[in-house]
Amino acid sequence: MTVMQPGGSSGGRPQPSGLADVIDTILDKGLVIDAYVRVSLVGIELLTIDARVVIASVDTYLRFAEAVNRLDISNDKETLTDLVGDVTQGGAKHKTKGALEAAGDKLREFTDAQGNGDRAGRRSSRGGD
Amino acid sequence: MSAQMTDKRDQGAARAVYVYGIMPADVEIESGTTGVGDPPGEVRVVRSGELAALVSDVSTDRPLGRPEDLVTHEDLLDASAADVPVLPLRFGAVISSDEAVAEELLAAHHDEFMTALEQLEGHAEYVLRGRYVQDAILREVISEDPDARQLLDQIKNVGKANEMATRELRMQIGEIINNAVTIKREADTLAAGDALAGHVVASVARPPTHELDAVHVALFVDNSKAADLERAVEQMASDWSDRIDLRLLGPMAAYDFVGTANPAPGA
Repeated sequence: MTVMQPGGSSGGRPQPSGLADVIDTILDKGLVIDAYVRVSLVGIELLTIDARVVIASVDTYLRFAEAVNRLDISNDKETLTDLVGDVTQGGAKHKTKGALEAAGDKLREFTDAQGNGDRAGRRSSRGGD
Repeated sequence: MSAQMTDKRDQGAARAVYVYGIMPADVEIESGTTGVGDPPGEVRVVRSGELAALVSDVSTDRPLGRPEDLVTHEDLLDASAADVPVLPLRFGAVISSDEAVAEELLAAHHDEFMTALEQLEGHAEYVLRGRYVQDAILREVISEDPDARQLLDQIKNVGKANEMATRELRMQIGEIINNAVTIKREADTLAAGDALAGHVVASVARPPTHELDAVHVALFVDNSKAADLERAVEQMASDWSDRIDLRLLGPMAAYDFVGTANPAPGA
């Protein structure tokens, strides 16, 4: 199982899910058993991975600021219309990995570190009555 | 580790039944298929009436949720969904015994689950995920907001002298960018929904899980329209290639479209 790189292959062809995609799907979606089974539900310890980036936090703002500060706009024209023109003609000259991509790499580190005990997790128990 | 030690570890452990999903009773599972847990139990089927539950044994004193467990859970459901309608369960459903699965889960909700499976038959879920190309979207934001451009120039000038002094400015520009990206995310999500409306039965947006998420939409698709959908997404990916990296995941079980009596109408 390989983790898909964001910014890697793109296009319309269906692609395999990476671990991040799996987490977004099976921890948040699907039928919830508690709605159907009460008496026979067994509480079991779940290690859940919460490496999803929190949006609109102080960290987010500072990461955006760092990324835009490192952007090379010295060649970008100052007038609004010129800048818009560059952008609509696909003016992005480099797809560099920046601070924001690094934030999204937490999950990849998790999968690389598996078995090394280097696990950040939130433990929760699900219990029946 | 000797075999004796393994036996001791399992001897006192309570066993229970992990449930992956619900399917029609005539589903067959290839023998030797392994499920979640360490060591994993063999995946098998518990039947009741016209329904079946896909299950495997787990011990209740070992935690679940390693990456392997998560991937196994989804892979099993998605592979099954390619052949039969599947009601996927959220990760972590454990029931005390096969009898309880048959009685308390399947028999007790038989008609409701049958109706849902009938609606799922011949359909699959896809998930459209897009992420902004960082530099491209930052340039867009700066170019569209003269105040942001001024702020950036200010930061670059002051910053050479004193990093601490710019913290407030950096928070400001960070918030401006985040707000702008949020608005673009909403607009691009709507645009994607409009472009695909003719190819899907239903769609539902998922919350963003990354600051640069551009599009995150679950699509409920008639299997006969899958090729049309792929072509439409390829076109979208091409149109957006400089600013959004687009991925289409699936086909998979209908995680986002179960739990309600009828899916919401497509956009």
